Amino acid sequence: MRTVQSGASLHDATVVLDDRVILRAVNVVVGPGLTLVRGPNGSGKTTLLRALAGLVPLARGDRRLAGDVLYIGHRPMLLRGLSARENLEFFARFRGGDTRAIDGALRAWGVGEDMDRPVERLSAGERRRASLARVEAERVQVLLLDEPFADLDEAGAVRLRQTIARARDDGRSVVVATHAHPELDDLAKARIALDDGDATAA
Amino acid sequence: MIALYRIALVAARELRAERRQPDGVVAAVTFIAVLVLLESLVVGPQIARDADVASALFWLALAFATILATMRSFDRELEDDALEGLVALPGGRDALFGGKVLALAMVLVLVATVGGILSLVLLDLPVALPVHLIVVVLLGVLALPPIVIVDVVLALRLRARAALVPILALPVLVPQLVAATRGTSAALSGDAVGALSWAGLLFAFSVVYTVIGLTIVPAAIE
Repeated sequence: MRTVQSGASLHDATVVLDDRVILRAVNVVVGPGLTLVRGPNGSGKTTLLRALAGLVPLARGDRRLAGDVLYIGHRPMLLRGLSARENLEFFARFRGGDTRAIDGALRAWGVGEDMDRPVERLSAGERRRASLARVEAERVQVLLLDEPFADLDEAGAVRLRQTIARARDDGRSVVVATHAHPELDDLAKARIALDDGDATAA
Repeated sequence: MIALYRIALVAARELRAERRQPDGVVAAVTFIAVLVLLESLVVGPQIARDADVASALFWLALAFATILATMRSFDRELEDDALEGLVALPGGRDALFGGKVLALAMVLVLVATVGGILSLVLLDLPVALPVHLIVVVLLGVLALPPIVIVDVVLALRLRARAALVPILALPVLVPQLVAATRGTSAALSGDAVGALSWAGLLFAFSVVYTVIGLTIVPAAIE
């Protein structure tokens, strides 16, 4: 039996949503380091990450995972009515981890003063920052980040690049789907090009 | 043990959000209060004080309140894809249903308490067996959320879910509503055996629908 040493992988994975093939017999192995997923709008980047995270059913093929996955999608995935700190505490406790790193992570992302305000009162950029603070607060081995630069200002983008570089240096597997941000290219160990549901190593 | 801990975490998260944004509770309490008031005005005090009529309207109002509170709970989850954040966690799918049932049952206990007190005071209802009444109401409240949550999850990605959920939920709620109404009526009029029999049936409904929910929801949420 084949095993995955670390990271996540899809083997011969096909995803069909609303009778439309979104991913076609995709083979992807994500190991430690940064993997960039590139492709035009509608090429299947988000679906690839969601398939790796186990959020979409595979019509064919299989998915293998080593370790927990942290998936952060287009939107911040924080529950309204709770503060940023409460949201992050929930995620950390759910994984069975401790919550000591949360305050520091939120401060590092510039949400320190607003960490106890309900997230619906934060700006889109602040919610995105609070969401990305999970990368440092949860210390999960496999990170799947879908267009993580969205809503971030320049300082936030610099902070995100540093966070990705640190996660890569820690030996974590980081997958970033983005159609822009060439500044990540020099950090990347592998690249996947998607075009209309077909994946190729680039 | 870890599964129960995760269910408790989801329930606590839900209750905290509901406390800060209490639209679901406020809508449910307002609905039940208006219905009790209208009942006494429309049918007159003699008919309104009939144990069967008062019980039936109370449980009908509570059924709609359950649908309102459950839909509000999932609407909040859909904003900013919070539901996806929970489902993406290891064990998140399995904890979702249990946590929602637990939290919504607590919310409904509050709504039922307010609605029940309003019914008793405004309609001046005599209660022959108060302890039996409390047991029937508690078990009736526990029997409502599981199947409504299943319906909401099945309709989650549909645009017309606001219209579809009541249409899907109300027919399957009929057995629980009949049992809860008959049990409440029995407790109000002093039929201890009848009240406990219907309470037992309500307990059975809770168990059956909870098992169905635990089986269906993790797969359906995908």
